[in-house]
Amino acid sequence: MKALTLLLCLLGLALVSSCRKSDSSAATVGAPGEKNLTVGVSFETLQTEYWVAGLDAIRAELKARHYSMLEAVADGDANRQLEQVKNFITRKVDGIILVPKDAQTCLPMIKAANAAGIPIALFNRPAEPSSAKSVAVVADNFALTRETASYLIGLAKKSGEQHEAMILLGDLGDINAVGRRDGFEAAVKGNESIIKVVAQVPTEWSQEKAQAGVVNALQSHPNIRFIFTSSDFLLPSIVSALKSAGRYKPAGDPDHVLLGGFDGDATAYGLLKDGYLDATGVQDVYFEAKQAVQAIVDLRAGKDVPPLIQDPGFVIHRDNLTARSSQMWGAQVSKR
Amino acid sequence: MESGSARPTTTRLLPGAAEFFGRLAQSDYLVLGLCVVYLASFAPFTPGLLSLENLGNLLQSLLPLSIAALGLTVVLIIGGIDLSITAVIGLTSVIGAKMMSSSHGWLADSAFAVPAALLAMLACGAAVGALNGIGVTVLKLPPFILTLTTMMAVSGFAVWLTKSRNIGGLPEGFSSLWASLWFATLLTAVIAALLHLLLARSVFGRWCQAIGFNSRAARVSGVPIQGMTFAVYVICGVCAAVAGILFTAQAETGSPVLGQRVLLDVLGATVLGGTSLFGGRGKIHWTLCGVLFLRLVDNSLNLLSLSIFTITMVKGGVILAAALLDAARSRLTISRK
Amino acid sequence: MTFALEVRGIEKSFSGVPVLRGVTFALEAGKTLGLVGENGAGKSTLMNILGGGVQADAGQMLLGGVSHAPRTPADAARAGVAFVHQELNLFPNLTIAENIFLTAFPTRSGAFIRYSAIYQRTAELLREVGLDTPPDTPVENLSTGQRQLVEIAKALSRDARILIFDEPTSSLSARECEQLFKVMGQLRRRGLTMIYISHQLGDVLRLCDSVVVLRDGIVAGSGPTREFTADRLVVLMVGRALTQLYPSRRGSARSEIVFEARGLGEPRVIHDISFALRRGEILGVAGLMGAGRSELARILFGLDPHSRGAVFLEGKALHRASPTERISRGLAFLTEDRRHEGLCLDASIADNLMLVALRDFARTPLKLLNRAMSRATLQKIRERIRLNQNARDEQPVRTLSGGNQQKVVLGKWLLVQPRVLILDEPTRGVDVGAKFEIYSQILELADGGAGILIISSEIEELLGLCDRVLVMNRGEIRDELSRPEFDRERILQSALPAELFS
Repeated sequence: MKALTLLLCLLGLALVSSCRKSDSSAATVGAPGEKNLTVGVSFETLQTEYWVAGLDAIRAELKARHYSMLEAVADGDANRQLEQVKNFITRKVDGIILVPKDAQTCLPMIKAANAAGIPIALFNRPAEPSSAKSVAVVADNFALTRETASYLIGLAKKSGEQHEAMILLGDLGDINAVGRRDGFEAAVKGNESIIKVVAQVPTEWSQEKAQAGVVNALQSHPNIRFIFTSSDFLLPSIVSALKSAGRYKPAGDPDHVLLGGFDGDATAYGLLKDGYLDATGVQDVYFEAKQAVQAIVDLRAGKDVPPLIQDPGFVIHRDNLTARSSQMWGAQVSKR
Repeated sequence: MESGSARPTTTRLLPGAAEFFGRLAQSDYLVLGLCVVYLASFAPFTPGLLSLENLGNLLQSLLPLSIAALGLTVVLIIGGIDLSITAVIGLTSVIGAKMMSSSHGWLADSAFAVPAALLAMLACGAAVGALNGIGVTVLKLPPFILTLTTMMAVSGFAVWLTKSRNIGGLPEGFSSLWASLWFATLLTAVIAALLHLLLARSVFGRWCQAIGFNSRAARVSGVPIQGMTFAVYVICGVCAAVAGILFTAQAETGSPVLGQRVLLDVLGATVLGGTSLFGGRGKIHWTLCGVLFLRLVDNSLNLLSLSIFTITMVKGGVILAAALLDAARSRLTISRK
Repeated sequence: MTFALEVRGIEKSFSGVPVLRGVTFALEAGKTLGLVGENGAGKSTLMNILGGGVQADAGQMLLGGVSHAPRTPADAARAGVAFVHQELNLFPNLTIAENIFLTAFPTRSGAFIRYSAIYQRTAELLREVGLDTPPDTPVENLSTGQRQLVEIAKALSRDARILIFDEPTSSLSARECEQLFKVMGQLRRRGLTMIYISHQLGDVLRLCDSVVVLRDGIVAGSGPTREFTADRLVVLMVGRALTQLYPSRRGSARSEIVFEARGLGEPRVIHDISFALRRGEILGVAGLMGAGRSELARILFGLDPHSRGAVFLEGKALHRASPTERISRGLAFLTEDRRHEGLCLDASIADNLMLVALRDFARTPLKLLNRAMSRATLQKIRERIRLNQNARDEQPVRTLSGGNQQKVVLGKWLLVQPRVLILDEPTRGVDVGAKFEIYSQILELADGGAGILIISSEIEELLGLCDRVLVMNRGEIRDELSRPEFDRERILQSALPAELFS
């Protein structure tokens, strides 16, 4: 009997609090120019340097504006992230910045924020199109990759010979990965006399798969002289595969393999300096952080904010390295 | 409460603190008491902990876990274990979403999409449970190894079905009903009440207990062990499937990794409540209290903006403390011989 | 005069229930003391206190004049108290020598066992206990009686000052008992002090120098053995005179056959077993350990398979029916292994008593229990089996004495009113008072028309209760005696291996 009473109490609580919830959805939007906002930041993971740099950039941006920040990491668990967002709402934050696990599981989180009248910005990963309203700040994967690849093709052209090429694909369930593949293919189009893509290595964003794939490709196509990776965090796998094949030579060496990437992490910075990497497309983390925070401020002020803010990024290579390394997050990470 | 209570509660009182703590440690509501103490001591400096809204959140996050833990409780009572719960949650999520998703579902936009998907999800849980049941009874495999294998196979299958891509676009009717707090609470309450009746008041419960305490003696006493064990694993599978339905509705997504990280929460909460890993002892309301306490700890630390690493460590500590308490409890029972 | 052991005013209670109330006695060095009493009289608790398993609430013990208050069993062992237990504490997978030296291996450079040394010492010890077996024999190859001798050798290896035998004969054959008694006599002549606990009063009177009788936690009588007779011991133990050991039979066997085995066989277990049990008949099965009696019972109840023959209950073949099905058709089985197969020790008395009959108290469709009805039934059955009044329904069965535990096992079968009851060693480890009550229940059941099959190693018990006795030897029925033909010698001859007489 006691157990039944317990259950009834829980049920009562459920009813009461679900009624209360609909009340709180009528919360008003803050006035423009307000001070001392509190922003809740939830990251899906902090397992790569990129996300750590992103969190640092957001923290710095909020600090510069004298806003306070609540942070949470979901460790890859969508249910946990939903709970964290709800906790932010409970604590009546003024805005939420989210790195979602994927495009679908973030929808209930956005809806919850919408219902509570709290502006929400997605950092670096967009949500699937739906009725839920959010602002996503993402790198223009397609344009930036096309630009990077074109720069590399330009280098290849100088030799005048046709280069056999390999591309490392990301997880094609991730639209960032798809954008990068499409950008690469767009750059190759029309330059088939210079670049002949002989290997496409699916990595599903896994270092182990990348390493095995690159080793296999180098064995079956020993003449590969051009490698592009969809993310810089796979560079160590490529380097080790090239080393074991005896093909790891810096620029200037006649056997140098042209190497390009995307992200601009600390490894990429080091390889660029040493001449092994020729170019990488840098996501401008600082720009993205600034835009995400600004979007929250603008939404609170009732301004119109486009649902997708694109970070154009920039291509970094040996010639502009010194000039632009201050904007390259990987360079900042490696200097620390 | 019932004469079937396995924990002896002395009617004669020995004076002294040891006796008091002995009785406290053996009380049915120890964990619930701990919840209240915890809440009272954390509320003053945890912003929003006692707000109705947060309590609602707490309840919502507690429901799917509770249902999974209730199923596990029954398995633990007969002295078994089921590690495949999380895999069942993932598989049901994927199967259901594959059927009813409006973007690429097999039954997209059909009027029967939601009921058919729900049935398929429950059937899925029952099937995995049946598989476990057959493995334990007919093939006589140790449940730990067997369900570990099922876990790997089933979650592998779920990932393969989706090619590790999530399925969105679930019908609005599905998510809004099954993720709504009152409905999910009602559902959990009904399941808990039903299992409570089964365990505490029916032949089924006594048989479960007998199997857990001593399966050889139960066999000699005519308890249909094979059938019971099979039924218990199916119940656990179905409970996991229901938990999977709630998780899927809350996330509005079919994903093979949806419940991947809840196994320790489910197992920890069940043991925390007082259900023995060695079989025989366990009650529905113990488990509910255990889930409540574990979620309360998690929720409050979350509100304090502690990192996930801290939260995980604290939760681990709480479960360890519960295990120690359980061991102390058994010692107390034995020393009263 | 020096005392090896003095016990002064020992008191102990559990959860407020007094178990020992001022027990006082003394034991001269080099003598053997017989400790008798009903189950629950406090013998086990007293020995537990002596052995460091539990601590006394009050009182004092002196071991060789020195205060003895062990906190742990290891303390007691160091002080020179050694046990030979009813349930043997040997590791079957290790050799005799390894078992004996398990906690005190002589080693070379602290890590390597000096096998030659322990084999030599073990051989000496085995000679002392009259066991003619190589020291490197694995214990699993030994018979129960031989294992007991190994236990004694183990105690001797530690220079025990007091050796305590707790029901040592309960699982021994007659010949093994004789061997044990011979060894005990030698040890006594060597001047070892011993305590002998047994329900076999004849053995106690024959082996011991003095006797202490415990009843309800007090010393009901003590003194030199010559002052006691078996009858007087029983009176002291039970607190009243038991006029007879076996209750008198009112009914008798009827003509119709209720249970029948035809040509039952299973390779290497039993061979061509046929018998017919009539309603109201009590049929005994005699034989030595390992003659296939328990195996036969398990096959009859459907716990083990058989490859040949068939079993018929009320004329219908049981084929491969499960125990569950056999129970619902009126068969019941009281196992010899109370702890492992008879009871859920950690479950309550109520749950254990109700386990078989549960289905009769369930209402459809959820099979919910009718609690009022089951409580009333529980009360009735408790009175019928005369369970200890102080025990509460929700108390774990583990906390009961052996005799009361056995009553619970019997009670749970009585509740379903079986048409055929198979009992395997129903009174093993049970005291005289409880024995009488168990016998009464068996007779009452037979008088009500049930068929009873009793397996027992106590020939007296079979002669006292049965209408007919079958004698098993090496998996076969060798002999059959009806009441007028009952003859102890004839049963023994059929039970013993044939080569002894050829």
